[in-house]
Amino acid sequence: MKRITGGILAAVMILVLLTGCWSRRELNELGIVSGIAIDKSDDQYHLSVQVVIPDQVNGRMGKQDTPVAVYKTVAPTLFEAFRKLTETSPRKIYTAHIRTLVLSEEVARDGIAKVIDILVRNPETRPDYYVLIARDVSAENILKVLTPLEKIPAEALFYSLDTSNKVWAPVAAVTVDTLIDQLMTTGMSPVLPGISLLENDSRDTKSEDMRHIDHPVKLGYSGMAVFRNDKLIGWMTKDEGKGYNYIRNTVSSTAGHLKCPDGKYISLEIIRSHTEMKSRLEAGKPVIEISAKVESNIGELECSLNINDPMVLEQLQAAGEQDLENLMRQSVEAVQRRYKVDVFGFGQVIYNAYPKLWKKLEPQWNDEFPHLKVVYKVDAHIRNTGMITNSIERRMKEK
Amino acid sequence: MQLVSDSGKLLDADLHNNIQSIREALGHSPDLIVREMVLADQWGVALLFINGLADRTMIQTSVLKSLTNLGALKPEQESSFRDAPLIYLKEKALTVGDIGYVNGIDSLFTHLLSGDAILLLDGYREGLRIGVTGREDRTVGEPTSQPSIRGPMDAFTENIQTNISLIRRRIKDPQLWLEIHPIGTITKTSVAIMYQKNIVSGQILQEVRTRLDAIDIDSILESGYIEEFIQDKTATPFPTVYNSERPDTIVAGILEGKVAIIIDGTPFVLLVPALFVHFLQTPEDYYQRSDISTLIRMIRFMSFLIVLLAPSFYIAITTFHQEMLPTNLLLNLAAQREGVPFPAFIEALMMEIVYEILREAGIRMPRTVGQAVSIVGTLVIGQSAVEAGIISAAMVIIVSITAISSYVIPANTMSISVRMIRFVLMGLAASFGLFGILVGVIILVLHLNTLRSFGVPYLSPLAPFNLDAQKDSLFRLPWPAMRNRPKMYNRKNPVRQSRK
Repeated sequence: MKRITGGILAAVMILVLLTGCWSRRELNELGIVSGIAIDKSDDQYHLSVQVVIPDQVNGRMGKQDTPVAVYKTVAPTLFEAFRKLTETSPRKIYTAHIRTLVLSEEVARDGIAKVIDILVRNPETRPDYYVLIARDVSAENILKVLTPLEKIPAEALFYSLDTSNKVWAPVAAVTVDTLIDQLMTTGMSPVLPGISLLENDSRDTKSEDMRHIDHPVKLGYSGMAVFRNDKLIGWMTKDEGKGYNYIRNTVSSTAGHLKCPDGKYISLEIIRSHTEMKSRLEAGKPVIEISAKVESNIGELECSLNINDPMVLEQLQAAGEQDLENLMRQSVEAVQRRYKVDVFGFGQVIYNAYPKLWKKLEPQWNDEFPHLKVVYKVDAHIRNTGMITNSIERRMKEK
Repeated sequence: MQLVSDSGKLLDADLHNNIQSIREALGHSPDLIVREMVLADQWGVALLFINGLADRTMIQTSVLKSLTNLGALKPEQESSFRDAPLIYLKEKALTVGDIGYVNGIDSLFTHLLSGDAILLLDGYREGLRIGVTGREDRTVGEPTSQPSIRGPMDAFTENIQTNISLIRRRIKDPQLWLEIHPIGTITKTSVAIMYQKNIVSGQILQEVRTRLDAIDIDSILESGYIEEFIQDKTATPFPTVYNSERPDTIVAGILEGKVAIIIDGTPFVLLVPALFVHFLQTPEDYYQRSDISTLIRMIRFMSFLIVLLAPSFYIAITTFHQEMLPTNLLLNLAAQREGVPFPAFIEALMMEIVYEILREAGIRMPRTVGQAVSIVGTLVIGQSAVEAGIISAAMVIIVSITAISSYVIPANTMSISVRMIRFVLMGLAASFGLFGILVGVIILVLHLNTLRSFGVPYLSPLAPFNLDAQKDSLFRLPWPAMRNRPKMYNRKNPVRQSRK
C-alpha cells in the first residue's frame, strides 16, 4: 500500500515538475503585436510589426512616449521573418492580438493566400482582425502613423473601419476569417478595403505631432480592392463600393442624398437595408435577381419640398429607389466591364439554386460573368422625418 | 441521570471510613465540602459536595432544611424513618427532584464531580445522590459564528442541559428522543444524541450509536473530537459532519430526519448526515422569501466557485492563454505587470499566503491590537505592494475578491477546505494552464462523488440526482411547495405537509 501511494506521489511530482510550465509566458515577456504590415521587393518579404508598449497605453505613469514601436525585418519567408524580428525586439513577438493586417499592393498583386497562411496556421492568433490593402503607400508607413483618440494606431484602424462598416456604406470591413471563406468559396472573389495616407506622405510622425488638433498625417480609407482569386486586379470607386455593399447585404446604416427639383439636396439616413439575391433561368441562361429593401429617415432637408404631402414622399421614395438601382447597376456593370471577376458572389447564388448548371458554368465563369444579366428590384420607404417636418427655409417663407 | 454503572469498589458501612477514603482519593482537595450532622439524635450522616459545582442555595433550602426538619417529626413519621431511613429520606424528606441511590465508589465520584451532593448514612453501604448541580454558566447569547439578520437570536451554550432544553423548547413532541452516551475515560463527557423517532432513519441512527460507542479516548473537550472519530472518511478536505451553534439549524435538521449530537462543554452541536449542499445553506434561507433565498444561494454557489477558481483562472489565463483575453484587457493587465519581478504564480501565492496570515492574525490577536494589524495589513497589501511594483494591482483585486467570497460560504469548515484546495488548483494552473484546472476539477468532482456521510452520498441530491429534493438544494422553493422532507436520508416518513 505504502509503495503504491509512494509511486503515485512520485508520478504526480514528476508530471508536475518535469513537464510543468510548458510554454508558460508571463504577460511582461510578451511583445504584443497590434498590427502587421507586409511589403515585398526583390522576392524578399519586408515584415513590420507594430508592438504595443503597455506602459504607455495604460500605465499610470508617463505617457510621454509613443504608445507603440515598429520593428521590421527582411527575409525570404514570413516565418523566418517573424523569428528574425527577435534580432531587434527584446521580447517574443506575440501575434494573438493583431487588430489589422496591412498588405502592400505588390503583395496583393502577387497573391494574398500565401501570406495569410502563416497567420491562420498559427493556432494562437485570433482570426478577427481586419485585412487592409495599402494604396499608393508602403504598408510599413501605414503602421507608422500616430493616431489621436485611439492610442494604438492598429487599433485606431480597426475601430474606424468597424464604425464605418456600421454607419457608412462605401466601406466594407473584412476580417481574415471571412476573407478565407470568400477565397475558398466557389464562384466568388474577395474585395478588401484600401487604406492610404492623407495629406502629406511623411515617413514617420513623432509624438510631438500628437499636440496638433488637425494632424498633419492621417489614415483614410479609399476604395475597395478587387481580387481575382487571391490576386489584386484593381480598385473600385467609392460609389461602386457602395453598390457592392448594398448587393452583398453588408449595409446596416449609412447616409445618402437625393436631388430636389430645385437642385438642392435632401439627405436620407438609411436605417435598415436588406438585400437578397436569387437566381432564375431565362432561356437556359441564369439571371440574377437582386431585391433590396431599404428603410430610411430624412436626415437633412435643404430644399423647400412640402414633405407633409404624401405624394411628395412617394415621389421621394421612387427617386430613392431609382437612385439605389443605379448605384447597384453601375457597380455591377463597372465590375463586369473592367475586371470581369465575380466579386458579388453571383456564381455562389447560381450554384445554390442550380448546382448542375453551375458545374457546367464553373470552368468558364470568368468569361460568362461579364455577360450575366442582372435584374434589380428596389423597395424604398421613408419612415420618419425627424423632429421637424418641412425645412426651416420653407417655414421662414411661409411666415 | 445515570452516568456510570456501578462497578468496582463498593461503599463501606462505616461513615468515617467512607469520608476518609473519599478525601484521600481526591487528595484532600479543599473544594470538597463535608458537612457532618446527626439526624434524630441517632443517625450520623455526612453531606458531601464540591464547592462551585453544586448549587449552594439549593443545598441550603432543599437539603439542609429538610434534614434539620427531621428533628421535629410526628411519631408515625418517626417510626417509618427509623425503619428505613434511606428510603424515607429519598421518598419523603428531601425536596429535590433528581435523586437516587449510589453504592459504588466509581459512580459516587462521577456524581460528586458532576455537581451532585452525596448523602452518606452511617451504617449503610449505600448513599443518596442529590441532583443539585448548579455550576456557573454563560447565559444563552447571540450566535457569534453564524449570525443572521432575520431569525432567532439565541445560541447554544457550554451547558448540555441548557442546549437540550433549547431544542426541546422548539419541538413539543414525545417522539423527540434523547440518548446520553458518556464518552472519555477521564473526562466522562456527556454526549447526547437527539432525533425525531418517527422521522429518523433507523439505519443512520444505529450507525451513529455504533460509531459513538466505538470511540475510545480519555477526553472529549469539544465537538471536533467526536467529529473526527465519527466521520466516514478521514482522507478528505471536505467536512462530512455539520456543526452549528444555532438551535434553529439543529432543530430543522432533526425535523428532516437528521441526528443531532450534543456534547457537554461546547456550544457547537453536530448534525449528521451532512451533505455538500448543506454547507452552502443557512437557516435564514428558510425565513426569507423564497425568491430572495434562491438568489442568495446562487450568489453563495458563485462565491464558492470564485474562492475555488478565481486565482487559478487568473494564473492560467495570464500565463498560458493570453489570446483568450479581449485585447484591451490584455493591454491593461500587461501594463500592470510591467516591472513586476515575479511570475504570476509566485505573485498569487505570496498574496494568498499573506492574506491567510492576516486572517489568522485577525482571529488570534487580542481585540485591543486589532486596529493596528488591520491598518498595517491594508497598507502593506493594498497600497505599498502595488506602488512598489512588487505585486500587480489586478492580483490584489483577485486575492481580495477571493478573500471576500470565502466569507460568503456560511460554514467555516467548508470555507477552510475550499481555501485549501485553491492552492492545489493554483499549482496546477501554473504548471498546465486551463488544462490543469480542468484536470483538477475533474479529480475534485470524482473525489466528492466517492464521499459518504453516514452512508448518504455526499453530493446528493445533485448526484445521484433527486428531482424532488431540488426544491431545496440550489433553489429554495416556497414552503407550500416543499411538501416532502428530503428523500436522500429519509424514506420512513417523507411527507411534511399531508393535507392536500
